[in-house]
Amino acid sequence: MSESPTTNEETETESTSIADPTPEQTARTEASTSRTSTTSGESEEELHEEWTNYHFEGETHVSVENLDVHYGDDHAIKDVSMDIPSESVTALIGPSGCGKSTFLRCLNRMNDRIKAAQVDGSIEVDGVEIYQDGVDLVELRKRVGMVFQQPNPFPKSIRSNVSYGPRKHGDIRTGFIDRLLGRDESDAETELVETALKRAALYEEVSDRLDDNALGLSGGQQQRLCIARALATDPEILLMDEPASALDPIATSRIEDLIDDLSEKYTVVIVTHNMQQAARISDQTAVFLTGGQLVEYGDTEKIFEEPESQRVEDYISGKFG
Amino acid sequence: MSTITSRNSLVNEETNRYEFAAGATIALSALLFALGMTALFEFVTLTDPVAGVPIVSVLGGLLVLIGIVVLGLGVSSRLELTESTPDRSAGLVASFVFGGIWFGIGGIVAAGMIGLDGAGWILPAFLFGGGAFAATAFTREDIGSTLPAGVSAILAGGVFLTGVLGPGWSWSPGSFPSDNAVTFFPSVVVPGSVLLCSLLVGWASAKAYAGFGARGRHLGAHVLIYLNALGIIAVLFGLVGFVVSKGAPTAFTGFTIGLGVGPEVTVLGLSFSLPVSWPFLMNGASVFVKIDGILPAVVGTVWLVIGAVLFAVPLAVGAAVFLAEYAEQGRFTSVVEVATNGLWSTPSIVFGLFGASFLIPRFGGSKSLIAGMLTLGFMLLPLVLITSREAMLAVPDEYRDASAALGVSKWQTIRSVVLPAALPGIVTGVILGVGRIAGETAPILVTMAGGTLPAGSETIDVIGGFEFISTPPFVTNEALLEASSALPYQLYALITAGLGGPQFQDAPFSALDFAWANAFILLTVVLSFYAIGITTRYYFRRKLNR
Repeated sequence: MSESPTTNEETETESTSIADPTPEQTARTEASTSRTSTTSGESEEELHEEWTNYHFEGETHVSVENLDVHYGDDHAIKDVSMDIPSESVTALIGPSGCGKSTFLRCLNRMNDRIKAAQVDGSIEVDGVEIYQDGVDLVELRKRVGMVFQQPNPFPKSIRSNVSYGPRKHGDIRTGFIDRLLGRDESDAETELVETALKRAALYEEVSDRLDDNALGLSGGQQQRLCIARALATDPEILLMDEPASALDPIATSRIEDLIDDLSEKYTVVIVTHNMQQAARISDQTAVFLTGGQLVEYGDTEKIFEEPESQRVEDYISGKFG
Repeated sequence: MSTITSRNSLVNEETNRYEFAAGATIALSALLFALGMTALFEFVTLTDPVAGVPIVSVLGGLLVLIGIVVLGLGVSSRLELTESTPDRSAGLVASFVFGGIWFGIGGIVAAGMIGLDGAGWILPAFLFGGGAFAATAFTREDIGSTLPAGVSAILAGGVFLTGVLGPGWSWSPGSFPSDNAVTFFPSVVVPGSVLLCSLLVGWASAKAYAGFGARGRHLGAHVLIYLNALGIIAVLFGLVGFVVSKGAPTAFTGFTIGLGVGPEVTVLGLSFSLPVSWPFLMNGASVFVKIDGILPAVVGTVWLVIGAVLFAVPLAVGAAVFLAEYAEQGRFTSVVEVATNGLWSTPSIVFGLFGASFLIPRFGGSKSLIAGMLTLGFMLLPLVLITSREAMLAVPDEYRDASAALGVSKWQTIRSVVLPAALPGIVTGVILGVGRIAGETAPILVTMAGGTLPAGSETIDVIGGFEFISTPPFVTNEALLEASSALPYQLYALITAGLGGPQFQDAPFSALDFAWANAFILLTVVLSFYAIGITTRYYFRRKLNR
């Protein structure tokens, strides 16, 4: 770690602040003026609280307060606070290893699956704290869907891929006993599959082969199938971890159009390496830089046209990354 | 890039006489290799004449022919009569191989033909071996590859042609004590040397065909690999063919197909005659039947395998689920892995002894079908556990992530994503395990074996054995507690009882015929289990990929 004494001071403040009656404020004021020297070629890092204070109209859908994530000794996310507005596209950009995927995985508690990960802080979805005892992960992940970097359909038919979530949650019954008792809901399944595929702009391409194996689809189709699979559980928030990075330009542009459509009904949070993509599709952009800190968060136009931070400007103009 | 000193033409010209000769030699070598294989398995007899000439002479003539041609190829390349790209030497590996072969030739000629006693063979052996090594290592590649190979073939062929190694020849090396002397007969030596020489000449002529150098080595290696694969397949088919040819005629004695020829069976209260009559498979062995058969043993083996699979597979897959999905990968799982691997390589008689001393006292105190089933089940457990665990670990984590992100619980993820994706691997483990336990003799011998040649009335009837009773546990099955025979055990019992002489009254076959037919049926039963397993695996694979 090439951290300067000031950073050590900052972490010290954090560690002592546990005993402090108002720890958050102390930590935040310390952080807001701290300067960190970073890898060669980068400008001095400065963090100002007002750079990440984004005011928007409309409702807050997800509210993150003082989020810290540790992987063992590795401090992956440092004190991130941001509010994500409802029914919009929020892009998270930043160089590799800056914690943006980790941040994304905190929003549906996928980090619980990593034993070494320790999450501190608060995340509220619709005003409900999701890091408290008694949170129903099934219900949370039904509301907060996720799409991964690599298309990962199950080796099953297209139909059963899409209806997988609802079937396993018991929302749609197509089992043998249900068929026996006349409770079969195959019609509901067909309808759900059709709706989800249409919403994911895939239905027309696959409507005549719903029972074929999903692995026979092209990469772009597979990714849209994964989006349809996530939409089938009727989420409110859709998390996307570089959903187009494994795809060719045409498939990418279809996914981008799709995200644009989805933002009318869903709150989309998307991690991307591609800054043009972030500029094209997002309403607001959050820039994470090395060290797991949120440096700047605001309207996409403002972030790309006139960023406050010198480092964000360097990153956006391609001086490092 | 100045280290490249020579450039060869990028496109080679069309086939010329040199390439034709080399190609024909490769083909002849392959033919000789196949002939050597058939002679080794005695499908042809060496003294049989082909067009008036004994086969051994035909083989000798062919060997001399390809030996001369391959020598000619090497020489014409050396004299640059043809375009080739040989290296400076054939290489150290080839030198050692040829040196070793000629060391053996020198020793055998000195000891077996000239008859030098004691250590007298060592000097010629070293002379020949060293000469071949030098001829390979210190000449240019074209001569170094073809000369030792060609001369070996000419020498072997000459020996066959001149009749030095005729049908009456035999050689017992003096180094073995005379009372258990090792004797070499032409029926082994001739096919063996034909195989060796055809490999050598095939390799050398393949190199010559491609003009030596890198391309030559590539083609030479290919020819060796293909001939080797051919040899392995020949051994495989030879083995199965041998058992079939020995056992099938007896096994099919009195086999007839036609309406109402078979024994009468009752299914669901409906009585009818089977349209097939296969006495050997449908009869027991007794004085009352004309053609003695092995029905009790076949039924015993089938029930044994079914019982072992039903007992072991659910347990093993359950344990594998725990180890692969729930247990933390660490010391505990690696200890379990070592233990299961050790259990899999435990000798079967140890399992048998465990069954005899632990299971039999708990199941009525006498040998029984259920004790055999459980013993074989214990043997099956570790392999199914190992392969199932590997198959589950090989399922990509992306599937688990995708399922978890949809809010699906871990157990449901395992049941509906991990297990289906791992099924082909699990089935592979079951196939391998069943292949082993179905042919196992020792555990059956001590846990469930019945009489040597059981009569048809002793056939175990597991389904019919179920009876309902009025006291707990309300169901009982006498058949499971009876001793039964099984195919491998019956074969063993036949062999220990002695295979000499006719043993069966009225039967049209001897005890030896009966044993061969028994082996044939055992092979068929095991291969049928394989076939079932492979079909199942194919079905699940297709389901995953299509």
